[in-house]
Amino acid sequence: MTRRTLPLILLIAVFVATLAAQESFDIREHYTKREYAIPARDGIKLHTAVYTPKDTSKTYPIIMTRTPYAAAPYGEQRIPQSFGYQFNRFAKDGYILVFQDVRGRYMSEGEFENVRPYNPKKSSTRDIDETSDTYDTIEWLLENTRHHNGNVGVLGTSYPGFYTWMSTIAAHPAVKATSPQAPVSQWMSGDDFFHNGAFMLPHAFDFYSWFGWPRPKPKKEADRFLDQGTPDEYDFFLRLGALPNANKLYLHDSVAFWNTLMANGQWNDFWAQRSILPHLRGLKPAVLVVGGWFDTENLYGALNSYSAAERQSQGSDIRLVMGPWSHGQWGYDSGDSLGRIQWNSPTAHYYVDSIEAPFFAHHLKGAPAPKIAEATVFNTGDKTWSHLPAWPPSGTSEYRLYLEEGNGLSSTPPSSANPHDEYISDPNRPVPYTNEITGWYYPPFMLEDQRFASRRPDVLVYTTEPMAEELTIAGPITVDLTVSTTGTDCDWIVKVIDVYPDRLGNEVPAGWFQGPTKSLGGYQMMVRGDVLRGKFRNGLERPEPFIPDTPAKVHFTLQDAFHTFRKGHRIMIQVQSTWFPMIDRNPGKFMDIYRAADSDFQKTTQRVYRSSTASSSVIFRRLPQPTRQ
Amino acid sequence: MEQFPTPDGYGFFLRQIGPLSNVEANYYHGRVPIWKEFMEHGTYDDYWQARNIIPHLGRTAPAVMTVGGWFDSEDKYGAVNIYRAIETRSTGTRNILVWGPWHHGGWARVDGDTLGHIRFEQKTSLWYRQNVERKFFNAHLKDEGKDDLPEVTAFMTGANEWRSFDAWPPPEVSPTPLYVRENGGLSFSAPTSAEAEDSYVSDPAKPVPFTAQTTMSMGHVYMVEDQRFASTRPDVLVYQTDVLTEDVTFAGPATVELYASTSGTDTDWMVKLIDVYPPDAPDPRPNPTGVRMGGFQMLVGGEAFRAKFRNSFEEPTPVPADKVVRYTFGLPDKLHRFRKGHRIMVQIQSTWFPLVDRNTGVFQDLYDAEPGDFRATTQKVHRSVQHATRLILPLLKDH
Repeated sequence: MTRRTLPLILLIAVFVATLAAQESFDIREHYTKREYAIPARDGIKLHTAVYTPKDTSKTYPIIMTRTPYAAAPYGEQRIPQSFGYQFNRFAKDGYILVFQDVRGRYMSEGEFENVRPYNPKKSSTRDIDETSDTYDTIEWLLENTRHHNGNVGVLGTSYPGFYTWMSTIAAHPAVKATSPQAPVSQWMSGDDFFHNGAFMLPHAFDFYSWFGWPRPKPKKEADRFLDQGTPDEYDFFLRLGALPNANKLYLHDSVAFWNTLMANGQWNDFWAQRSILPHLRGLKPAVLVVGGWFDTENLYGALNSYSAAERQSQGSDIRLVMGPWSHGQWGYDSGDSLGRIQWNSPTAHYYVDSIEAPFFAHHLKGAPAPKIAEATVFNTGDKTWSHLPAWPPSGTSEYRLYLEEGNGLSSTPPSSANPHDEYISDPNRPVPYTNEITGWYYPPFMLEDQRFASRRPDVLVYTTEPMAEELTIAGPITVDLTVSTTGTDCDWIVKVIDVYPDRLGNEVPAGWFQGPTKSLGGYQMMVRGDVLRGKFRNGLERPEPFIPDTPAKVHFTLQDAFHTFRKGHRIMIQVQSTWFPMIDRNPGKFMDIYRAADSDFQKTTQRVYRSSTASSSVIFRRLPQPTRQ
Repeated sequence: MEQFPTPDGYGFFLRQIGPLSNVEANYYHGRVPIWKEFMEHGTYDDYWQARNIIPHLGRTAPAVMTVGGWFDSEDKYGAVNIYRAIETRSTGTRNILVWGPWHHGGWARVDGDTLGHIRFEQKTSLWYRQNVERKFFNAHLKDEGKDDLPEVTAFMTGANEWRSFDAWPPPEVSPTPLYVRENGGLSFSAPTSAEAEDSYVSDPAKPVPFTAQTTMSMGHVYMVEDQRFASTRPDVLVYQTDVLTEDVTFAGPATVELYASTSGTDTDWMVKLIDVYPPDAPDPRPNPTGVRMGGFQMLVGGEAFRAKFRNSFEEPTPVPADKVVRYTFGLPDKLHRFRKGHRIMVQIQSTWFPLVDRNTGVFQDLYDAEPGDFRATTQKVHRSVQHATRLILPLLKDH
């Protein structure tokens, strides 16, 4: 199903009126609203909307989201009918809901800075960061508003997830619990705009040609989208060509952060200062980190901020929830399916009602401690929740699959003397990342049927025999390739795929008279895929050219997965060098791609070695049987 | 009917069938005699000549109304060639022709207002049944009314209008070459380079799909399907005109004049003529399938040509490897208007799977091929002054 997808990050801040029809609970009947310009320590005023229950016979905890996407609607008379499923739950349970425009966005004063660095050593009231803005806001709210019980919870998804982590480090003592959800944690490595040094082109361009224009003074009007003139992003970005054309044709140097992205194409001090990961230590509030296995934007942030906090802040109460969701899907959808894949239960409602609501109720209202596991993780193959004492779980063993001659995939090392498979990668005919005609990006691509890619000559495909017994992988997936290219730089994309049996159950497959099938027979479900920009194979801060036609080791980590390959299914690995337009094109030359010209892009011949002396493999962490806990 | 082992025709025919000889060995086991006959008669031999009805249409007494669908994936050849045979061999016969925007039998079975994502803005099949078919039979069988139907009644796709003509193809068309040009261009001006070509590797292990759908059936929607799934592939050459500044209408069969070489001794050439919609083309409302019409690449008509038959369907001959060879063949008849603001696109490829079986790249009887016979070939399409690959479009000055 093709459709224009709005940026999901928006939906966290924009209270979707259409949801109201499904909700019997009407916010307007139960809440009053005030708006405040809350002064930060440097005098800058932050626009804040406070929704308080009409029943003032009791006190309530405060639940707060800080957002760059507008604490709309603006005006004390304007109360939405619904906050959407996730926030309506707080409203029904009785919380004071607070939404704040972060510094420099919409109605808040000051300068906005993308992922503003944390300053642990503040020496004057001029030293501000997002932690101090949060602290000052909470201090002011506790002193200047009524009917609160003195406890504050913070949550937010995506960019607001970053602000939620910023409320958790150096937290105000009233902050008892937070939930960073799909948080932005470390751009360049794996969140949002870069994956292992490759540029996530449509996400960055679409986002900043909407979010990134100057805001000289506070405003209420929503940011405007750039009209790309076509619903077909593959065509749009191929015509856009080399990255410098984005400024020439569309942005005209008016989007400062686009230029910042173009100028910081490798790991450096700029990015190091903007990583939250080193600062996740000494955490006082209880923390519930939430992410989606099929989140294109911040899967990295959810998994890596959780693991960094676990490692660096021992003794803190930090838990993880990973569901079968696209970016933010748990906040606005039932989560019973994604794309063509059904989960057989409303996974998002389960999360909101059985995990998130009891978590905050316990920490902010003194409700009994709920039984929330250290890691509540959804298995995307057997479609059940597991409640684990750790993530990744302990007790897993290495399971390595080698690429074999004849498109095979096997746990036995190859014995072939025939050294390699090869393909020509043409940056002017890149492999699409989705089979859909779509603008922005197509969220379900993360588990889309990969048959459209298997059929291309520039995609290598390796498949196991049907599984004799089920196999559950849990944790990171690492890629260990021996490769060569005729150029001096190139990208390596590796996809892990669950191939469904050709015939499923008792279905009647489509016949000649029936037209296209709705069956999932033979479906190639992507479980995990990611890219390495080849020049960064030895470090994101250390680009190195390939020596043409010379085998090189390429090693990188795909993000975690939790998936059972069921009996009768097969595991497939696909290797390719373009994934367009999800990642920008590599010219095949060792150079600053952000300054490339259209004429720089050249075809390269790519080889993947799979012989007894130079092998390529993918390494999983395998759970012992039985898998269900 | 037996169940297919998978709903995925591409996977089935590639992996489970493989070479055609496996059909008999693994599936039919001698139970389908005509399949064996097909496999034994891979050229236009006595077997096929004896089964051709065209030579026998010389003395056709009844009035004949031949009906064809522009998007009939099965017997469109029959419609136009039967009409023409009667026209030339049986000159006294009342012989008329009707073309509609229909799939195989669509004029009889559906309303005919859409096909796939293409909308015709009227119920073309209903109109035909009420205003043409009934009139024809009532006049000739019941003596009710007059058969004053035009010689040719044809629906113009793109314009979405019924037209009538005195002959098919209309004599007033001007055959006009449309040249394959550099940088993926397509132009009514001839190329000027002395030597110029585009190349691709055609790999029968990774053939170009004929449809983006997962289906066991050939169906008919592929006849107008959005070709964007094919344009992105490295083994499909894509040429398109600039945005048209005025309507371009053609009537009849476009003719391919292809100058091409292959590194093998046999190969296939597929040429597809495509109507590219403007980027702001509106989506249907409502839009239950979520189609995006902006930039839609509507297949207007395509055809395959097996290289070894370039001189004769009776006597196949090997292709000289890496030598430029001229191929000429017709695309299916059409009456289509490329509208102002659209583009004309031509795609050239050497597989179209599983619609067309795979060529091994080797001059041999493909019906006896072994799995090891299939090999990738390097294909070159020339676009120089000497070897100017082109499509001859029978342009119609609109009337």
